[in-house]
Formats: sequence, C-alpha cells, structure tokens
Amino acid sequence: MEFAQFLTYGIINGSIYGLVAIGLALIMGIMGIFNIAQGSLAMIAAYGSFFLFRYAGLDPFLSLVFTIPALFVIGIFSYRTMFSFMSRFSPHQKLRNSLLVSFGLVLILENAATILWTANERTVTVSYSGKVLALGALRVPYIGLGAVALAVLVIFGLHLFLTRTTFGKSIWAIAQDEDSAALMGINVQRRTLIAFGLGVALAAVAGAIISLHTVSPTVGLDWTNKALILVVLAGVGSINGIFFSGLLLGLVEALSVYLVGVHYTGVVGLVIFLLVLMFRPQGLFGKKAGV
Amino acid sequence: MITRAKIISVVLLLGLGAVPLASGNEYVLNMCCMLFLYITLSQSWNILGGYAGQVNVGQAAFFGVGALATRLLWTAGVPLYVSIGAGGLASVLLAVIIGLPALRLKGHYFAIGTLAVAWIARITVGNVLPGISFLPTRQMATYSLVPRYYIFFAVMMGALLTIYFVVNSRTGLGMEATRDDEDAAQTAGVDIFKYKVIAFLISSFFAGLAGACFGYFHASYYWHLPFSLMWCFEPILIVFIGGVGTFAGPIAGSVCYVLLKEAFALTLGEMNVLIFGIVFILTILFFPKGIIGLPSTLREFFRKGRRPTLAAGAADDR
Amino acid sequence: MLRIEELDVFHGDLQALWHVSLTLDESKITTLIGSNGAGKSTTLYTMAGLLKPSNGSIVYRGERIDRLPAHRIVEMGISMVQEGRRLFREMTVADNLEMGAITKRARQAKEDTLEWIYEIFPVLEQRAGQRADTLSGGEQQMLAIGRSLMSKPDLLLVDELSLGLAPVVVEKISKILREINQAKKVGIFLVEQNVPLALELADKGYIIENGRIVGEGDAKALLKSEQVQKAYLGIAPESEAGT
Repeated sequence: MEFAQFLTYGIINGSIYGLVAIGLALIMGIMGIFNIAQGSLAMIAAYGSFFLFRYAGLDPFLSLVFTIPALFVIGIFSYRTMFSFMSRFSPHQKLRNSLLVSFGLVLILENAATILWTANERTVTVSYSGKVLALGALRVPYIGLGAVALAVLVIFGLHLFLTRTTFGKSIWAIAQDEDSAALMGINVQRRTLIAFGLGVALAAVAGAIISLHTVSPTVGLDWTNKALILVVLAGVGSINGIFFSGLLLGLVEALSVYLVGVHYTGVVGLVIFLLVLMFRPQGLFGKKAGV
Repeated sequence: MITRAKIISVVLLLGLGAVPLASGNEYVLNMCCMLFLYITLSQSWNILGGYAGQVNVGQAAFFGVGALATRLLWTAGVPLYVSIGAGGLASVLLAVIIGLPALRLKGHYFAIGTLAVAWIARITVGNVLPGISFLPTRQMATYSLVPRYYIFFAVMMGALLTIYFVVNSRTGLGMEATRDDEDAAQTAGVDIFKYKVIAFLISSFFAGLAGACFGYFHASYYWHLPFSLMWCFEPILIVFIGGVGTFAGPIAGSVCYVLLKEAFALTLGEMNVLIFGIVFILTILFFPKGIIGLPSTLREFFRKGRRPTLAAGAADDR
Repeated sequence: MLRIEELDVFHGDLQALWHVSLTLDESKITTLIGSNGAGKSTTLYTMAGLLKPSNGSIVYRGERIDRLPAHRIVEMGISMVQEGRRLFREMTVADNLEMGAITKRARQAKEDTLEWIYEIFPVLEQRAGQRADTLSGGEQQMLAIGRSLMSKPDLLLVDELSLGLAPVVVEKISKILREINQAKKVGIFLVEQNVPLALELADKGYIIENGRIVGEGDAKALLKSEQVQKAYLGIAPESEAGT
C-alpha cells in the first residue's frame, strides 16, 4: 500500500508540473518563444495568492479570480515591450533572443520579489491544508485533489479551446502558418499578443497551487525546469500531451524516491529529459505542431 | 601585418602585465582577476555560440567541472599547474561524453539539452557536496593575489591567442559557414559536424581552465557555486553586450560587465540586479550587435529609421 | 477597380519589382504571366499586404491599400489563394473553410457561402471531416480556393493555379473559376506559368519579365501575338519562315 501512496503523490506532483508547463507549452508551441521566466511569473502569482489570503482571507483557489487577469495583463505588457519585435525572426534567432530576454525578466522578477517581500519562504495554510481524503488505505490530500482537478480542467480545457472554438482555432492556425492566417483576415499581431497573455495567465493557476506549497523569490527557475522537461517530453506544440507527460514525470520521480531516496529526484527528471531529447526529440505524444 | 590595433593591444598587454608590480592594491588585483576570468569564459562561449552558432546554455557545467577537478587535486597536494591543467582536461572530457551526442541536436534542442546538463550537474554537486570547500592551512598561509593575477592573465592570454588564430583560419570560416546556414554549408561540402566539435572542444577547454582558475582563486566557497546557473547566462550576456561572433566582443563586453556590475553594486544597493536585468533586456532589444556593432547599428537606424535586427540567420522567407 | 502604379518592391536588398503598373477591371479575369522568378508571386503578396512596397501605390476602389496590414485588406474584399495551397494541414476541411470566414463581412454570410462552396466543390463536403493533408493535390487546390472564397472577396488573387496538378484537374478548376467569375461577379487576378491556360481563361493579360511589365493587352490577342508565341510558346512566327 505504501507504494500506492507514493504513486498518488506522483500523480499530484505531476499535475502541478502540468499546470506550470501548460502556459509554457502554449507560448513555445504557438509563438516559438522560449520563456524561461514562466516559473518566475507563476511565482509572482503565488505571491499574489499569498497576500490575498493574508490580507483578505481569500482562498488561493478563489484568488484566481484576481491573479489570472493580473497575469494576463502582465503577459500582454511583457509581450508588447519585450517579445513582439521577435515575431518576424527565424526560429534560431527567436530562440536566442527570447532565451536572453526572458532571462533578463527572471532577474527582474526575482529581485523585485526579494526587495519587496524578502527572501523568506511563504506558505498559505488554509483550513484544509494537511487534511486528507481517505480512500481505503490511501490518503489523498485535498489540496492535491484540487491540483489534479485544476490540471485536468485547464489542460484539456485549453485543448478544447484551441480545437473547438473559432478564436482558439485561429490561434492554432497562426501556429501552423502565420502568413496564411493573415491572408484569412486574422489579425495575427493582436491574436499572438492575446495568446501570449493567455500563456502567462495560465501561470497564475500554477501560482495558486504553489502558494499552498512554498513561495520564495527564487522558486521560479526550479518550476521552469520542470515545465521545460514536460514540454520536451510532450513534444513542442502538444497540449494534451502535457498532462500525460506530467503524470509520467511525477510517477517516475515517485518511483525514484521509493527506490533511491529523495535527494536525486531532480536529476531523474532531467536524465529522462536528456534521453528523450536524444532519441525522440519530437516528444512522446506530439507530432510536429500537433495540438 | 602590423596594424595600429595590434600595437595598441601589445602595449595594453604589457601594461596589464605590470599592474601587480606597480600597485599592490588588492581591490584592483581582484577586479582584474575577475575581468580576466570573464574574458576567458565569454570567449569560450563565443567560439561555440558566436562563431559556430551553437547556443550552449550549459557553460556552467564545464566551468564547474574545471573548478571541481582543480580544487580537489590542488587541495590534496597536487602541484598547481597540474591541477589547473587537469581542470581544463576534465572539462574537455565532459564535453566529449555529453557534448558530442548533444551536437547532433538542432538549435532549440541543443540549447535546452545543454541547459539540462548544467542543471543536473548543479543538483548533483549540490547533493553530493553540500558544504563549503576550505583551503587547507598550508595554502591559506601562502595566499597571495599576485600569482593568482598572473595565472588568470596567462589563461586569458592562452584563450585569446588560441581563439584569435582559430577564428582567423579556415577552421574559423568553416565554423561561420556552419552558423550562417547549415544546409548550404553542407551542400558546399563543409563538414559541419567537425567544426561544431572543434568549437565545442575549444569552448569546453577554456571554460574548464577558467573554472580551474576559480578553484584556485577563492579561499573558500560552496562547492556548488561554480555550477550555479548564473555562470550559464553571464557569458552569453557578456558576449551579447560586446557583440556576438566578433573577437573583440567578449573583451569589450567583459570590461563593460565587470565595471557596470561593480558600479551598480556600489551605487544601487539592493536594486542593482534588478536594474541590471533591465539594462540587459534593453541591450538585446536595441543593441543586438553589442558594443562592437554599435556604429553599424546606429547607421542602420538612421538609414532605415527602424529597429535593427541581428544579421546572422535573419531569414527573408519570401 | 484596382490600380497599381509604379510599384517598387524589395526582398531585403534585392529589388524584385521595378515600376510595375497594372489595372484590374471590376469583375473581370486578368492574368499576369511570366517565367519562374519574374516577380509574379511578389506582385500578389504585395497586393495582399504581406509585402510592402518601397515606392509606388496600390489603389483599390479609390482607397490606398499598400500600407495596410494583410487582415485589413481581406476585410476590404481581396483574398489570396497562395501558391502550393498552404492549407492548415492539421485541421479538417471544415475547419479550414471556417478559418476563411473570420472577417465580419464573411461571418455574416458564412452559412450561405459554405453552401455555395459545397455546391461548386462537392468533394469538399464529402471530405469535410478529414484532415487537410489527407486530400489529393487537386482537392487541396479546391479547398484553398474555397477557403479564400469564404471571406466573400470581390477580387480573388490566385498564385500559380496549375502548379503540381494534373492537366485534367487544372481544366476542371479553371472552368470552376470562370463559373465563379460569371455567377458571382468576383474579379480574378491569376498569376501563372502555364501561358495558354492563363490566356484562355482571362479577359486581359500582362506579361512580366525580370520584375518589369513588358506587355499587356486583351488576353486572346496576346495569345496570338508574336511576343508571347515566341517567348512562352516556343513557336517561330510564320513571317520569318517565309523570308
């Protein structure tokens, strides 16, 4: 039974990774922009959730009502000022430029957070923190359930949005062939902007969960690390694949903790990542720009 | 060909060589060591990233491995020069094991892959050697900045000379061809893999040597410090500030970076990294060709009245 | 309807079009013929708004459009069918058609337009749920045209209709284009390498060579002209043989 408990934690962690990764998947898949600041943006949202809880007693899941729009605005602003100039670049140039610019953004966000809120770790403790749902011998933390539910909702929701709604399809079209999309009368610049804003807004969802876990100014890069692993595992451009990659990573990490102890979980993920990169760079679940 | 630039360089170098003799000021020597380190490290990145066009986001792994090897050997009593050389070689070994397979990856994936390698290294070292490395008393007692200055200087000179010759040779051309258009180069018969490998080996060797200097320089530091991700991004940033794919770029960028960092640290207090981040982004947005490319950036701006773009790889698809 | 005057267009530092001038008449079929690389696609892309000229002007129904972004030009009633189809390959036929109807003008008439498209291209209705990249070349061309028609254009720009398609298929599509022109009064500007096809279909023709317009006139007359016969059809004029 202990093993099953590990697996449960694996699924929960995997879902959290999925939430951080989904925004990055959208941004990298649609725009080809390498956003290392994704985790740091989630960190900012997590602080938002934290302070909304502390000063307004707002449950992190409810704080999303505020943090999602806030991050959307931040996303739009960031794109306009820092990334839009790359839109006509070749993929290689886009990579290099977005890598650097987003790293600059990481520096700014981490240090702004340190100055404003100190380097101390914060956690939101709600009434149901630590409470579990008992399923037979299994203990499932309520927060974990929330994370899994959100992950399913957000990831599959995004997929439906991109494949079933006209607006979503237009964004998917832009990802497939930007020029053709423009010739359809699609305002590519405006929709790309919105897509980027959406990608950043999705980080807010991860932020809420992170606030229930631990926030500090430097957690961003660790989360981005996980997000990047998932994006590569799933295949750049795959949305549904993010969920399954998250599960995969979470379960493999749980397995490694079970077998080898907790110190090397980070390495396990990265090693899998490197293996996939070497032998199946198009990812496990996606085809070329598949959604 | 004796050009004015060359004469100035030689004079400068002689001057630099005389600094410790002229002034024993620790602050100055310290700054110079840092400067030489950054010049070496950024040149090492530039040969692979700027000339051969392979964006390596994991330079910290090579820097760190060099530091680790040197530190372990030297504190155990191995002679200094051997330890430092070992640092360089350890890094090359890493490059051969990890780098060669990695080079088969294209663009995006190479960048992400190297980043992953650096991340793994950082986590592993952080777990295996969580503490601080202290210099044993014997070496602490004889600690002096002067020999350190000269070793940094020598390593830097080694890097500059090697890279200068490579870059101005046919090998350098091969690398640039690989960078500009892999497919075209291949069709023209250029062995792009060979050039990527050469660039990678040179890059890792000097990154390792720079790390070796780091291991020699500090009295005490956390074992995982030379593996910090900052060492991945700082060389890239420096090369960008100075001018990617140029020989003088990393030099100009390093000078700028070290001075700027110091100036910010001294005047801006806790905001310094934040302002730095802003300056960083502004540089990429408005001066993609860096300091070296400034004249050309300004020229383009006045001629076409629009924002400049990086020349290398700019595809006009219609 | 549409007048281009003294257009200069550059690709980076290379000049592709030199002082190009043309006039398209309302509801007529006009063609631009020329060999590979002569500047035909460039002309269309500039009209569609994806390229901007460095000199000259394009005036459509009284309004200058050469500085407008592509999506605005589509809203004004000009739609382009690209060379090589360039469909949204991962999307279904139906989705592709839906993407054609993004503009407000198109959305309002979406149902009717779709019905009409399925009438003239029945195979699209049959394959509506299939991915675009599972279609044959000819079917893809039909989808591309159908998709552009979904935006309810008054002027359809067609780039290299015949490329990569079997002659039978090209004939068929060609006829459909004529139908569209006559039934719905949609003007067509066809850019083509296949000279006889283009000049048979069109009312008026222009010839472009090395980025410059070197001939114009009634399409049928051009077809018989010495210039065209010699340069594009490889036929020596009779007078020479007689001398």
